[in-house]
Amino acid sequence: MELILQSIVNGLIQGGFFALFAVGLVLIFGVMSVVNFAHGELVMIGAYTIWLLHAQNGLAFIPAIGVAIIVVTIIGLLMERFLFRPTRDDPLAGLICSIGVLFILQVVATLIGGDGPSKQVPPPFHGTMVVFDSLRIPYQRIFSLVVSIVALSTLWYFLTRTKLGWALRAVALDREAAALQGININRISMIAIGVGGALAGLAGALMAPLTNINPHMGHNVIITAFIVTIVGGVGSLSGAVIAAVLYALFHTFVTVYFGGTLATICGLILMVVVLIVKPTGIMGVRVSE
Amino acid sequence: MGITRRDILRATAAGAVVAGTSSLPTGLFAASNKTVKIGMNIPMTGDYAPWGLPGLYGCEIIAKDINGAGGVEIGGEKYNIEMVAYDHAYDTEKAVQGYKKLVLEDDVKMVMMLGGSTVASVLPWAQRKKMLTTTLLPSDITPKSEYLIATCESHPLYNVTGVEWLAKNFPEAKTAAIVTNNDAEYGLQSAATYKAAFEVEGIDVVDVNLHGFDITDFAPIVSSVLAKKPDIFCMATSFYVTPLMEQLYHQGFKGKIISCTLDYYDEIIAKTSKEFVNGTIFQFPDFDDPALNDKGVNFPDPGGFDAKFRKDHPNDWSAVSWEYPAILLNWIEGAKAAGSVEPTDVLKSLKYTINPAFVFGGGKWWGSQLWGRDNSVVGRWPVVVVENGKARIQEYRSVSDWLAKNKDVLIKHMKELGLRTV
Amino acid sequence: MNSRLKKIIGSLVLLATLVAIPHFLKFHHQDLLIFLTINVLVVASYRIVTLTGEWSLIHAVMMGVGGYTATLLFKNFDLGMWFTLPLAGGVSALIAALLCFPLFRMTQFYFLIGSFAAGEAIRLVWIQYVNPFGGTGGLSGVEPPIIGGIDFLDAIPYYYLALTVVGFCLFILYRIENSRIGLTLHAVHWKAPLAESVGVDTWRYRALAFVIGSFFVGIAGALKVHYLGTITPNQFGIGFMVFILIWVIVGGYNRFYGPIIGVVVLTVFDESIRSFAEIRPAIYGAVLIISILFLPKGLESIPAKFKAWFGIGSNSDAPPLADK
Repeated sequence: MELILQSIVNGLIQGGFFALFAVGLVLIFGVMSVVNFAHGELVMIGAYTIWLLHAQNGLAFIPAIGVAIIVVTIIGLLMERFLFRPTRDDPLAGLICSIGVLFILQVVATLIGGDGPSKQVPPPFHGTMVVFDSLRIPYQRIFSLVVSIVALSTLWYFLTRTKLGWALRAVALDREAAALQGININRISMIAIGVGGALAGLAGALMAPLTNINPHMGHNVIITAFIVTIVGGVGSLSGAVIAAVLYALFHTFVTVYFGGTLATICGLILMVVVLIVKPTGIMGVRVSE
Repeated sequence: MGITRRDILRATAAGAVVAGTSSLPTGLFAASNKTVKIGMNIPMTGDYAPWGLPGLYGCEIIAKDINGAGGVEIGGEKYNIEMVAYDHAYDTEKAVQGYKKLVLEDDVKMVMMLGGSTVASVLPWAQRKKMLTTTLLPSDITPKSEYLIATCESHPLYNVTGVEWLAKNFPEAKTAAIVTNNDAEYGLQSAATYKAAFEVEGIDVVDVNLHGFDITDFAPIVSSVLAKKPDIFCMATSFYVTPLMEQLYHQGFKGKIISCTLDYYDEIIAKTSKEFVNGTIFQFPDFDDPALNDKGVNFPDPGGFDAKFRKDHPNDWSAVSWEYPAILLNWIEGAKAAGSVEPTDVLKSLKYTINPAFVFGGGKWWGSQLWGRDNSVVGRWPVVVVENGKARIQEYRSVSDWLAKNKDVLIKHMKELGLRTV
Repeated sequence: MNSRLKKIIGSLVLLATLVAIPHFLKFHHQDLLIFLTINVLVVASYRIVTLTGEWSLIHAVMMGVGGYTATLLFKNFDLGMWFTLPLAGGVSALIAALLCFPLFRMTQFYFLIGSFAAGEAIRLVWIQYVNPFGGTGGLSGVEPPIIGGIDFLDAIPYYYLALTVVGFCLFILYRIENSRIGLTLHAVHWKAPLAESVGVDTWRYRALAFVIGSFFVGIAGALKVHYLGTITPNQFGIGFMVFILIWVIVGGYNRFYGPIIGVVVLTVFDESIRSFAEIRPAIYGAVLIISILFLPKGLESIPAKFKAWFGIGSNSDAPPLADK
């Protein structure tokens, strides 16, 4: 029973991370029709920024998070301006360009941190909240969860209550129709990748004290993001959030009771099943071609 | 951090690396000496780099010392030692290419490797070229692998010493859970050994959790293991000691922790607390440990070596920092005794030494009962415990004595986990 | 007659070069040459999959299926290379045929991601089940054949062996592409609604291309494992898949020889920048981006561009069959 409770808590915290980077991927795909293969590397750069500024050079954690968000957002904007915009007619070209970026960012990380052992960031929030003896939540994880919820709520407000948010969703639904309405596609694309990049940077920054940081950490991130995106529905942001939480719980419970690799295999099979049975995902939004 | 490593990498240009730092001074000190090249076909980039690159640094220190003192006399000739390294990044294709480059093009007299699939892929060539090759994983040895030896690390057999020490000093610990990555080269070998050692001590293994390499969050794994309420949490050559320790700390584990390695334990302390890490048992000493001045130890000036290493490479000390150098020292002894640098002569002289100069003393050739060939040296091995934030050797225990009594238990557990035994 | 003579002379020169080349290389570059030869088959077989316009991310894993098949057959049944090679291709083709049912319900982006997921699941099975697949450390102990006293552990004999096998496979692939099937595959890509309207079952042809591609890449996997002696799951991860994509796209995928040019040029380029060590992937990444932005039709389009400059070019930028 206690194990179940502990697992639910662990799953929810993981779900927060998953949602942060999956929502960004969905946003970029929805608005720009490009699969950003380097999304995991954006998260990785966020984590490296924390390691470099906070763990190595003593900048406080919260400002370091701010810098991480800015750095990753800028990388995202550069990718849109110089790679995705010129290749907008060919989604495959955009994908390949993002793979090129992936290689470059991994090397940047290696140059910053050196090869060898994974980097560690001592948690800025030490200690553990003991709810009762076998339900314990480290303060660092509580902090991450709260920040994830705040960030996602802000995004939700932005998308549903602001004019720009409406425009963004309109482009995601049907780019040509939106253009005909006089929406500036280039501007909306910049905003989409900016928001996606910021969320990826935030996810990386929040994960930094909780995980092994190395140039290849983006790999697991992108696999998870794909699964969450597909299960949630390729064009659906709310679907991505729900799928992120559900998948995190699913993954946590399979890991606890059957083992970690099996959990990932089950996740991948789940994804293929969803693709076959309901390609539009659990939230069932049609994406314009 | 990392800047020194980066500079070295650049200077040595990972592909066809010549360890310039050691070969340059040799010319200055003793120009008339001959040069003998020793190859290292190791991971210097990527995930496995911590178990390769620090070994090259260590060997360079040893070679520099020897060359600085006028070289080593073998068969009436003075030799300088030059390290030649190739980075295979733990990739079998690159490992084969690196091996051929070192053996066929660079004319090295021995090739040191880490082990596993990269060693397996070069074995046919070791056999054909009669090239002395070393591994840190004796489980690479097969009945056919005449030229492959493991003279330093007898992974994972020495883990039994930690368990013996634990059982003797903490008799109240009666149950154990083993966690490790699910791979036949490191994790499973080690898990089988720990299972055997626990069985011999009458400790119940309540859970064996084998996980993959794709784990980002260790909270669920640790939760599920701690639900079994083990007295001892055992990490069997895990690649994820740091995140596991962190979760143990947060989930309030109060029992004993035993692990094969505890690399970069100062980082673990930074992520948890000194009090929590204190008392953790593992197998790899720091070389400034006074217990290494024990007269059975075959390593010249361990403290001086430690100081030089940490001065040149402050953040790179790992389990392998002294292991490749220890193998290099074994080779020098073998070559001196043989009066020749030729691989087959050195191998013969090493194998004919009944009591080889094992790094922690008490060495014996062993292995035919488990792997089909007596090409691994087992001897004494230190039990290391973290005391007040510093790794300290508690005592040396004999691996060979344990094997003499309990090898059948070990073989049983190896078979149970599907590992190759003879 | 003149052009035919030219072709024959050209082929002979090419053949002579291929035969002579290992004798001028260092030992460890001879190994690289073998891996390159095998990778030529990998990209050529990938091309047949892409002919229908679908880009899969499972090709590297299908190569692994072939490799693991050969390994298990060699180790458990003591089958020699002449049996493991076709059987490896057969098992890859079989797995591919089974995967067609879920995968080809999807197209484009969904197919890309679906094939990635299916491949990753297969790879994780190799990692998870240490028996029989050996887990992360993989399997070892596969040997090359000894035929008529020639030990194929040596690089040069094995290179000739690989060259023969790959050459034969390329010949078949070329014939397939220029047969009725190949023309239909092109049609499925460029004129899918039209093809359907004249009764072409596009599902069947896309599946067929996938199965054929998998068969040949399975052979490539077996060819590799017999030389290396070992096989690990990480050899066939998304990293290798990405390289296949890069070779094909940088080389250009409108013509049969485009991907082959890509793999040859980039492999030589990669080895020549080996001294850059850790920043090598970034150079690779930059080359990739530059070639996508400035050479979208690949390296193969360079000669046509030159011709166009001098005003003697034909319109070779269009896909060869798009307008016929």
